[in-house]
Amino acid sequence: MSPEERRPPAQPAIAAPPEGSVADLFKAALPDVEMTAVQGALDVLLLVDGKDAHKVLETAKHNPSLAFDFLRNLSGVDYEAEGFEVVYHLYSYKHRHNVTVRAKLPREDPRIQSATDIWRAADWHERECRDMFGIVFEGHPNLVPILLPEDMLDHYPLRKDNPLAPLEEWQGEALGPEMGRAGHIPPGSGFDVEPSAEGE
Amino acid sequence: MAIDPETQVEREFETQDLFVNIGPQHPATHGVFRMVIEVDGEVVRDVVPHIGYMHRGGEKLSEHMDYRQAIGYQDRTEYLSQFNAELCYVLAVEKLAGLAPPERAEYIRIILTELNRVSSHFMFLGAFGTDLGVFGTSFTYAFREREHILDLFEEVSGDRLMYAYFRPGGVAWDVPRDFKERVEWVCKQALIGADDMDKLLTDNEIFIARTRNIGKLSIEDAIDYGVTGPMLRASGMKFDLRRDEPYSIYDRFDFDIPVGTNGDCYDRYLVRLAEIRESIRIVRQAVAQMPDEGPILPERMPRMLRPAAGEVYMRCEDPRGEYGLYIVSKGATQPYRCRIRSPSFCNLSALKHMTVGHFVADAVTILGATDIVLCSVDR
Amino acid sequence: MEVNEERQPQEQAPEGAAEAAPPAAEVPATPPERPASAAAERPARQPAGQATTGERPPRSASAVPGRVPEPAAAVAVAEPRPESVGVRLENLRLTPVEIDQPKALYRSVLPGILQVPADFIIAAARKSSLWPMTFGLACCAIEMIATYMSHHDLDRFGIVPWPSPRQCDVMIVAGTVTKKMAPAVKLLYQQMPNPKWVISMGACATNGGPYTRYDRVLQGVDKIIPVDVYVPGCPPRPEALIDGFIALQNKIMEERSRVG
Repeated sequence: MSPEERRPPAQPAIAAPPEGSVADLFKAALPDVEMTAVQGALDVLLLVDGKDAHKVLETAKHNPSLAFDFLRNLSGVDYEAEGFEVVYHLYSYKHRHNVTVRAKLPREDPRIQSATDIWRAADWHERECRDMFGIVFEGHPNLVPILLPEDMLDHYPLRKDNPLAPLEEWQGEALGPEMGRAGHIPPGSGFDVEPSAEGE
Repeated sequence: MAIDPETQVEREFETQDLFVNIGPQHPATHGVFRMVIEVDGEVVRDVVPHIGYMHRGGEKLSEHMDYRQAIGYQDRTEYLSQFNAELCYVLAVEKLAGLAPPERAEYIRIILTELNRVSSHFMFLGAFGTDLGVFGTSFTYAFREREHILDLFEEVSGDRLMYAYFRPGGVAWDVPRDFKERVEWVCKQALIGADDMDKLLTDNEIFIARTRNIGKLSIEDAIDYGVTGPMLRASGMKFDLRRDEPYSIYDRFDFDIPVGTNGDCYDRYLVRLAEIRESIRIVRQAVAQMPDEGPILPERMPRMLRPAAGEVYMRCEDPRGEYGLYIVSKGATQPYRCRIRSPSFCNLSALKHMTVGHFVADAVTILGATDIVLCSVDR
Repeated sequence: MEVNEERQPQEQAPEGAAEAAPPAAEVPATPPERPASAAAERPARQPAGQATTGERPPRSASAVPGRVPEPAAAVAVAEPRPESVGVRLENLRLTPVEIDQPKALYRSVLPGILQVPADFIIAAARKSSLWPMTFGLACCAIEMIATYMSHHDLDRFGIVPWPSPRQCDVMIVAGTVTKKMAPAVKLLYQQMPNPKWVISMGACATNGGPYTRYDRVLQGVDKIIPVDVYVPGCPPRPEALIDGFIALQNKIMEERSRVG
């Protein structure tokens, strides 16, 4: 194929997935769950609310026409004002199709039901998501910190309001009387961290 | 006299389980990984892995770098299969930005990626032998072969280990003039090296005794834990992303997928050894098909990449499994979210399942056969 | 390169905390404000070995360049979060090690004139047989292993990698040290017997490297242990590491009369 033919067409912002895709199977299996189907760059995206996510995922695994037995990836994303999202990427070895489920969560109290009872792979992914964003997975058997030290879980690194650390010359000089902030620079302090390759 | 609650066997005296802490510094060179093993005599009852000692925030820092600067973080996340990680990243950005790399660049990328797979598997062979006690010999053989490949990579990209050579749209600069001859020479040396490792380990009685039937993982359990790559293939599942979800130009090459039967450590070793030979096959086909001249970046390459708003989850077959990159873009020059789906992270979550019931010495064997890269586990 | 003679963790005197308290109150409390008494332990490391806290400016927000505390609109969050204990623990955990000066017995036994050849012979012996502890943390570990292997042999210098810290001379910190790993690094350093040296290999161990802006990464291993040789690179070439070892050997010979 020439490069022109292989170039993927520029996707418009919201495009409905083609007929007969995975989204139709989902809609047939769960007619009463509110979901929006979008065609992404590679997979079909299903946007659901956080409360329905567990039902959708369970159907995804146990429904014979869907049979998503492989949880590829579970990530959290911080959309600042619009809240959080937990994104599940699923694949089916049987039918060789894949789907992305995006579960929307509110900003103030991000809680979602854990998917560990569906796939055991979700265990560590959810622990990491909680470490990075503070999203609480209810029903998780062992929601302890996995990547961060157990006693240093006072701020969640991957949230957008957590900026990069300033370069510190001596150990702990940036801590000072605001020692509790440990790298967090409160907004309004006048210390604006611009992303630069060299630092300040 | 005490009665063991599990086996109902009368024991001479009361025993108590012992907690053995392995790591975070230990001679098996897998980096800073810590496991707390609860042993009853010699038998492992429980394994609690502790990770996060190498959590350096590559994902967070990628959000503050533009799309080309973030390639360096992909290198350092997968420090043994750098080109695989870079390939996944540039393919993801190309999908977002709508770029198409020219033919020559595609072939160069495939050749380098497959050679990187070979060098990563050599590292596994060396480290696995060391874990089992072949201290020195297997490592020295492995690094001898790796040095040949790393010399080639240095000629092409300028660095021995952290290349940052792939770019969205192609590669950064063209390869040297004698690239094809050098690649052919490296392939020849790699096959000789693979034969050497084969002769050293495959039929070795002690090696077989220490790896056969150790750490068995069935296909259903592997899929449930999210295990991919050679570990899944060793369990018997014939699935390879290069063939089943082809990306780049892998559909033009003809290669086999080695599969194991038992799902134990010996099969994992055999699968990886066979994959070295398959990768060399792919490299030779690519060298034969590669155009001798041509551009390596598209003609209209934007100065600053600003992909359209959207998201993509791109997955590639890394030597360890499925390396996935979930990139969310909001139209800025920096990715909004760059989530790395690391194969070692998911493979390691099955560690407890594989180790419970074996002996303490087997714990190290199983960890070695899982072939983790700590920077990838912790990112 | 000098061996830093004194380096002890400094206790923040109470008056330092009291000075810092008024500026702290001005800084807006989002997230919740920490009590000023949280600044109880300050590991201010000063190479000249000054003990008083009066030397350094008060630890207020204005001490960090570019940071101007403004009384912005304060969000009303009153009580400190319970996890703030963890960050206090962080500072305790990341204090630098205490350095005890090695004292060789032969110096007190031999008369002065015989110490010179004794120093020479002992230093030559030490430098020719440096046993590094295999402490590869991250990507630099791969280059370190490659340096041990047959292509760029380190064994010809007498350098044998040894896993046990109790029998090693050198610790090559190869890779990023995160704050979670830092106490283990300190413990390993303390387990090594004197005389011991540290080579900080790679950019991450020198000053945090490409990951320096992340708040869980220690910006350089020299914040907690004394480093003798810095080998820059990301990762440094094996030849660069060999160069670092040769520099360490030269240093050992050079300072043989000053260090016990």
